[in-house]
Amino acid sequence: MFGRSTDWVLGIAAGALLALMIHYNSLLAEHTTPTFASWTAHGLGAVVALLLVLLTGARLSRRRRADGEEKSAPVQVPRWVYLGGIPGACTVILAAVTVNGSLSLSGTIAMMLVGQIVFGLVSDHFGLFDSPKRRIVPMDGLVALCVLAGSALIIFGGS
Amino acid sequence: MTVLLYVFLAFLNGAVIGTSRALNGRLSSAIGPFKASLWNHVVGFVFLSVALVVLGQWEWGASVPWAAYLGGFFGALFVAVNSYVFPRLGAMQAALLVISGQMIAAVLTDWQAGGESPTGLRCLGVAVVLLGIYLSQTRGRKEDRK
Repeated sequence: MFGRSTDWVLGIAAGALLALMIHYNSLLAEHTTPTFASWTAHGLGAVVALLLVLLTGARLSRRRRADGEEKSAPVQVPRWVYLGGIPGACTVILAAVTVNGSLSLSGTIAMMLVGQIVFGLVSDHFGLFDSPKRRIVPMDGLVALCVLAGSALIIFGGS
Repeated sequence: MTVLLYVFLAFLNGAVIGTSRALNGRLSSAIGPFKASLWNHVVGFVFLSVALVVLGQWEWGASVPWAAYLGGFFGALFVAVNSYVFPRLGAMQAALLVISGQMIAAVLTDWQAGGESPTGLRCLGVAVVLLGIYLSQTRGRKEDRK
């Protein structure tokens, strides 16, 4: 549907959306608790996602009718792929544990970034959870180093 | 010793995030990014409801500013966009680009919210992250030519 460079821009845009999400959820957590804030955000997020499904669904089916296409048969997927929300929710609880422990917020964020990149590396190599395998090249290491070093400067460099 | 335990927990949490994104990405390629986002939020909501009962942390905060509720809106969009690009970019590439966007946006939102311009170290950090994105772009082009 889109070219490769669009995927890049969307990836970076997703990061910006994530930063905004964290910014507002932290604001809510200041007034409640991290877990309660995440619960509220999940509830409201579900409503927003439902609206998006309805909006885009209506547009898609209109386009399909215009193209004279038949509605495609539902794709079979393993049941566990529907459970992504569980590790997603665990993240908030686990982050609250480490921030309240002896690790600072900055340290927690930094280690979570390292964990994400190492996970990505392992996932690409083994194709974890049915994700497409991708060969790791030396340049990937250099890119990861730049992103991690830059992030560390941003996280620990004061505000 | 306990510090090391927390360092490991935070590291592990990164892998937990990765697992969530991998599952949502896989689901998105089957049923579309918006439906994947819906499933993620409904399942997470049910899970957190149980967690709140177990932890006993129901706390309806008093005088919460309305903007604090915007997180859910951005979360729904984030999961949809991220689930769409995840299978297309691969786990590592997706993680690196999302982190880059997240870090740069964090500097900008802090600047906007705090009013103080970012420190020299933070500006340097943004430059190094941008260098990383540029380097991964060159790899992308090389692969396209093959």
